[in-house]
Amino acid sequence: MSALALFALAVNFVAVLGLTGLFANAGKLFGPKSVRVGDADLPYETGLPPLSPAHERMTVLYHRFAVLFVVFDVDLAFLLPWALNKPALTAGAMAAITGFTFVVLFMLAYFWRKGALECR
Amino acid sequence: MNLLAPQAALAAGVLGALGLGLARRPSALGARLLALAAPIAALWLLRSEVPGVFGPLVGVDLKGLCWQLVIFAGALPLAFLSSGDDVEAALFLGSVLGMSLLAAAGNLIMLFVGLEFMSLPAYLLVARAGEGSPRLRLEAAVKYFFAGALGGALFLLGLALYYADTRGFGPAMGPLGLQGQAGAALMAAGALFKIGAVPLHWWLPDVYSAAAPEVAGFLATSMKAAAVLFLMRVVSLAPDAVFIRALPGVGALTALVGAFFALRQQRLQRLLAYLSLSHAGLLVIGVGAWAVLGRAQAAAASLLFYLAADALMSNGSFAFLKASGAATRADLRGYAAGAPGVAAAFAVLLFALAGIPPTGGFVAELLIFWQAVHAQLAVPIVLGAVAALVSLGYCLSLLRDLYFEEPGAALAAPQGCAASGARIVVLVCAIGTMALVFAPLFLRGLAGSVWR
Repeated sequence: MSALALFALAVNFVAVLGLTGLFANAGKLFGPKSVRVGDADLPYETGLPPLSPAHERMTVLYHRFAVLFVVFDVDLAFLLPWALNKPALTAGAMAAITGFTFVVLFMLAYFWRKGALECR
Repeated sequence: MNLLAPQAALAAGVLGALGLGLARRPSALGARLLALAAPIAALWLLRSEVPGVFGPLVGVDLKGLCWQLVIFAGALPLAFLSSGDDVEAALFLGSVLGMSLLAAAGNLIMLFVGLEFMSLPAYLLVARAGEGSPRLRLEAAVKYFFAGALGGALFLLGLALYYADTRGFGPAMGPLGLQGQAGAALMAAGALFKIGAVPLHWWLPDVYSAAAPEVAGFLATSMKAAAVLFLMRVVSLAPDAVFIRALPGVGALTALVGAFFALRQQRLQRLLAYLSLSHAGLLVIGVGAWAVLGRAQAAAASLLFYLAADALMSNGSFAFLKASGAATRADLRGYAAGAPGVAAAFAVLLFALAGIPPTGGFVAELLIFWQAVHAQLAVPIVLGAVAALVSLGYCLSLLRDLYFEEPGAALAAPQGCAASGARIVVLVCAIGTMALVFAPLFLRGLAGSVWR
């Protein structure tokens, strides 16, 4: 715990604050600042006037899909290191990954059966 | 292949309970059987576990095995009183699985996985289990979730700092630098959050008093045991860390706050929640003494004994609330006249909670204080003793309400299977609390014969 370590910690702290502040405000700092008049400043969707405000509240149902997607996405990402390690695979590894895949499939079936995949 | 056999049994239980839910009309009997069978099977399979290190993630040691014993045993009352709902059974077993994974964790990453695994189902269990309006339970569950998420985040931040200093997820090889010290302290803060130590205790009374009584008993026993083990694992990482010196003080403060706030509570479940907080404080003092004594086995054994006694006392007293239907202290007046057996059992549990001699609670408190004396923690001992004295006051006044007051409005005793099950739990816990007085005589032989 030397003075150098304290200095490094301080630099780290300043760098984190500075960089996050920079990224959050980069658009304001470096973006074009041309002043537009008339219809040029109106928001649009594919050339049409927007139907509703952009900051609309979404139904919480979408959240369920998002969470389910993340869960299964991460589960399938676990298959990747297993597949890349092909030369070292034994029967035990095969059995383990089969069991894992079975559990993932079981959970998918569970959510399906419980109606969690229906948009209601 | 016996490795992680108890965990495998619990995981099979979780999958089985979810599988029951696939049926059009899930079988309540099946869910009850699974909730009860899986922890018992895990207890049975624990015998065959052998201490050792298996790969980078799994490390089984005697402490982890003993703690799993208490965790599974503390979960049995909730398993016994389970409502037969398949989702609740899966959540309950998932939480116990997380606790046992935490006990068998070989490095910090696995410890974090275990922490999250035991916490997430517990939040949902608080919201879901129980009768009546779920509004308060939902509020408590959300509060619990945010407190737990904050604790988990503190732990992760500490983990990152600790890794930056030591380049490893295991015990530190040399003295810690500044980052390592900060990391260890943050990880300990995460553990203290789970225990509910002052000043990180604000979620605990609300959660314990809003949850169903049997779920509160589960949180006060198994979850607390797992959290104490979690704190001990963090202490083991770096025995020279600065935060360890603060542990006895934090524990003493927690014991005092719990004891004094319980004085004014009229609702029984909230009173028991603060009492449980006070016990958590004693446990933190015990962890501090254990660290000061160079992580002596005797100090760890006294913590284990306290948790075992607490598993009986807390589960029994929370089950009494379910058995009697008493919500406030006024409901208790003259209860003994109507139900002498259950009242006597609750009286025994109150004696134990207050730490009065012929009960396991007294032996447990004595062992913790004994270790603290060895560690020369004079001020925490005095403060802890004051807390014990204060809790004596209201435990005795509850006894007076039970036996020496005229009955007020007749309390409608709950009928049916659940209430009689709760009565059985109260009686068994009271008998066990009495029997624990003799346990220190046999423990040495038991410990020798189970894991050799």
